[in-house]
Amino acid sequence: MNNIFKLKLTALGHPNPVGFNSEDEKEYRSVVLWLEDQKIRHYKIEEREGLRNIESDKWKDAYNTYQRDLVSPVVEGTLNEQLNWLLSYAVRLEYADNVTKYKDVKVEQPKQSAPNVVSSNPLDNLDFDSPAFKAGVERICALTGVGPHSDPKVRLSAVAKILKTAPHPDFPKNEFNMVQQPVDVLKLLFIQDLRELQTKINEALVAVQTVTADPRTDTSLGKVGR
Amino acid sequence: MVVRQYNEELKYLEKINPHCWKIKKGFQPNMNVEGVFYVNSTLEKLMLDELRNSCRPGMTGGFLPGVKQIANVAALPGIVGRSVGLPDIHSGYGFAIGNMAAFDTSNPKSIVSPGGVGFDINCGVRLLRTNLHEKDVQPIKEQLAQSLFDHIPVGVGSKGIIPMNARDLEEALEMGMDWSLREGYVWAEDKEHCEEYGRMLNADPSKVSLRAKKRGLPQLGTLGAGNHYAEIQVVDEIYDKFAAGKMGLERIGQVCVMIHSGSRGFGHQVATDALVQMEKAMKRDQIDVNDRQLACARINSVEGQDYLKAMAAASNFAWVNRSSMTFLTRQAFSKQFKLAPDDLDMHVIYDVSHNVAKIEEHIVDGKVKTLLVHRKGSTRAFPPHHPLIPVDYQLTGQPVLIGGSMGTCSYVLTGTHQGMTETFGSTCHGAGRALSRAKSRRNIDYKDVLSKLEGMGISIRVASPKLVMEEAPESYKNVTDVVNTCHAAGISKKTVKLRPIAVIKG
Repeated sequence: MNNIFKLKLTALGHPNPVGFNSEDEKEYRSVVLWLEDQKIRHYKIEEREGLRNIESDKWKDAYNTYQRDLVSPVVEGTLNEQLNWLLSYAVRLEYADNVTKYKDVKVEQPKQSAPNVVSSNPLDNLDFDSPAFKAGVERICALTGVGPHSDPKVRLSAVAKILKTAPHPDFPKNEFNMVQQPVDVLKLLFIQDLRELQTKINEALVAVQTVTADPRTDTSLGKVGR
Repeated sequence: MVVRQYNEELKYLEKINPHCWKIKKGFQPNMNVEGVFYVNSTLEKLMLDELRNSCRPGMTGGFLPGVKQIANVAALPGIVGRSVGLPDIHSGYGFAIGNMAAFDTSNPKSIVSPGGVGFDINCGVRLLRTNLHEKDVQPIKEQLAQSLFDHIPVGVGSKGIIPMNARDLEEALEMGMDWSLREGYVWAEDKEHCEEYGRMLNADPSKVSLRAKKRGLPQLGTLGAGNHYAEIQVVDEIYDKFAAGKMGLERIGQVCVMIHSGSRGFGHQVATDALVQMEKAMKRDQIDVNDRQLACARINSVEGQDYLKAMAAASNFAWVNRSSMTFLTRQAFSKQFKLAPDDLDMHVIYDVSHNVAKIEEHIVDGKVKTLLVHRKGSTRAFPPHHPLIPVDYQLTGQPVLIGGSMGTCSYVLTGTHQGMTETFGSTCHGAGRALSRAKSRRNIDYKDVLSKLEGMGISIRVASPKLVMEEAPESYKNVTDVVNTCHAAGISKKTVKLRPIAVIKG
């Protein structure tokens, strides 16, 4: 939660977003006051007295009233949830005040906020323009005898075509392990996938059998030959 | 056939390594590719003796020697790579049994030949494991053998105990093991552990004659005669602990059940019908072959396509047949041990076909090609990571089930990368005949055979004891020689050796 608070406070231009500790009652109260004074400005200045008395026992009552006046949906929630809503509300107001300024802003790194689970397959994230990729393509092209082309992707698809239609090229002895080991790993992963698929096929067959199967024998038909 | 002195013939053969011989072009007329065969010193002698005998004056008629048959196949239109003879090779109709050959489907002249598949279409081997130990089974071995014999009808003219009408058969021909699955005779996991998932999708029952269907209908769920059998076996030796573990074979003495059977009279009729059609097609398309028995048709001709569709239906028949016997075996064990088959862990380890032609992708001269691969008396043996093998065997390579002759041992092998490049992912299929059936009947007494098996502690139930000598171990090559040759040549890898303790056969 603190991380979200930090981001929102930074966005709102709070003087000390990094040092803010929501667990500290005093700091919490002063941020609420700062939000009302600087950003939300729901009350007239003289009406903000209740919130301004940070040291007072009556502050909590004033805070509750304030939230009800703002129609906050989380009045009954935890202190953190309450503050989070206030911060979001303030950000919304800030945006509404300066729509023209903010509407064209693009998010620079969308993956930063989401956990990195989607890209578990490294092949999805291949950077086709990276020097490492180009150098790798250069090397397999040399091994498979694929000629030069300005686009490494074109060369890679040529390699794929060769590997599909012709026997695999022999690798130089010193390259052997470097090529063989990853190939072995890929083969094992493939076998694992295949086993899962076959198991599902078998399960489907068994499910059908429960409907269709009726094996019978009739020994009276049997006849032993000469 | 070219007639030359034995010494002259030998000039066309070259030993390229201790386990492999090359047959050069010119050995037989019009060879498009070279031939090759895999042998060890013992099998090599058998191969060359066979050739020497055929070179003696006055030796005409009868089957051609295996080497000559490999070379004749190498002369068929559209063949690619090499015509391959496996160590268990012996003379057969057109193609030798133990011969594999691949034809380029993009070549309009490429052919399909029923002789390259054999009369028992999709004859194959299925192996079930159990969690029983030999000592659990030994005391009730006789009862168990009898129970299997009672459940699985055997012999010529036997009839199955799973009720089926004509409509059921039509559906089974189209659906293969999916039919058995739908009707509840097998488990979902059985399909997973079966070559081709137990169903050829191009099967078309309308391309099968009424006669074939009539012969096939009562025979579903029967073992048949000849070299077919169901055996209770125990794990005798483990060579590759990791691969064996992946198959659920964890310890010496573990009990398994091997079922060796095919498409019975149904497949035989499909092949016979096709041969008649092909003779016409050969005349029309002017296809020349070295041996009349190599009747064939272009893959893309009506006759070729009709045969492939009917052959697929016969393959489906064989899978349903082995599936029905799997069901009956589970019932027999379940009754004897008073435990559900589930609790006995009676899973199918794998099911291989060793008489079949299939469309597969292979690399020929550095290019991916779609081929029609004929395997007659040859088992597919795909390497680790091949997309067409079950996920459970991706790391070990495809299990290859090699049934021995009656009373001898059987083997489980796995496919290798070397086999993929050298033999289009193919290996041997069994012991391979050494004596003809007629010769066996003349030379061996059936009573001796039975008492010998008894002496080895093997319970045996047979429908026709008088045919047992045809299947006596003496009539066959030594399966261990065959398997060791494949292992040493690198075209497949030994995993487990199995020893029989009870046999039922036709």
